[in-house]
Amino acid sequence: MGRRRKGLTLAIGALAWLAAEAGVAAPGWTLQPSASELRFAATQAGARFEGRFAGFEAEIRFDERDLASSRFAVTVRTGTAETGEARRDGILRGRDFFWSERYPDAVFEAVDFSVSGEGYLAQGTLTLRGVARPVPVRFTFERLADGGARLTGSTTLSRLEFGVGQGEWTSTEWIGDAVEVSFDLRLSR
Amino acid sequence: MAWTNSMQRYGSIPQLLHWLVVLLLATQFVLASLADDLPDGIEKLAMLARHKSVGITILGLAVLRVAWRLLDRPPPLPPMPAWQRGVATLTHWGLYALLIAMPLTGWTMSSAANYPVSWFGLVQLPDLVGTSEDLHETLEEIHEALASSLLALVALHVLAALKHQFVDRDGLLSRMLPWGAAGRD
Repeated sequence: MGRRRKGLTLAIGALAWLAAEAGVAAPGWTLQPSASELRFAATQAGARFEGRFAGFEAEIRFDERDLASSRFAVTVRTGTAETGEARRDGILRGRDFFWSERYPDAVFEAVDFSVSGEGYLAQGTLTLRGVARPVPVRFTFERLADGGARLTGSTTLSRLEFGVGQGEWTSTEWIGDAVEVSFDLRLSR
Repeated sequence: MAWTNSMQRYGSIPQLLHWLVVLLLATQFVLASLADDLPDGIEKLAMLARHKSVGITILGLAVLRVAWRLLDRPPPLPPMPAWQRGVATLTHWGLYALLIAMPLTGWTMSSAANYPVSWFGLVQLPDLVGTSEDLHETLEEIHEALASSLLALVALHVLAALKHQFVDRDGLLSRMLPWGAAGRD
């Protein structure tokens, strides 16, 4: 009887695996943080400058042939914003901008994917400083020879839509409203 | 009045460059000290942005000024002891050097702090160095030391001009004034 039971268990296991592979979800990828970058570009006094987020995580399920079950969930630690100048970083992380103490994470989630030009378009939701807004993100997905993948793209946000910049900082005379966010992520299986 | 220098006086272009720089330089000291007194905020950012735009303007004018000086011989100095002649020449070239070095150190320190410089929000200038907080601090100290040197040289320059005008009465100052009486062209 032992033999029969074992055979049955194996069969069920195999079926479950097939079902998972067949369409329950696109494959999950693992972010390689040290080889990945999340940057932003804003303008001060009419000049563009760049910064980066040192801390972020990304749960990426993506398959070019199965956009329907693809999913992005990116969590950005707002307190890791860096621009190379300590006083500005302090202001960015402070109450008037990200208010990292109260809103430590910004989260981007997307389940709606479509083909767009050479790449793809994710229609997702960004929750930043307690404000959730729809955000479209264009990206390209490139499979690499080592079995990994490279995910690159960008989007432009209105900082004021999310309340990033309070009080005097709501003026766009010296600090522009548009902020370009770009990413270059290395993924492995 | 001629555009170019004559034997008696500076031409209208070098005069314009001279007095424009005087005006802008005074503006620079005012903007810098206003910014210094402001807390971190949008007003300080605005004041420093104006300071940078005016500084870049001075850089352009100073380069023109030096080019003019090299190409168009200035009127000869009135009779004076050789050491005064030497000090005058040194002061002039010191002023030119500082008028160029001040904006350059300011521009570089802005680059080091990842605050790219724009000229009145119209043109963004390229960064001269990469981001480095250490370099930014060092350049800030140099920029301030140069400002003190510039102020000292300006004082010397003004005092010398006043001495020539009111003690020696040799008409030296009027060579740089549009309504100067010394020698009509």
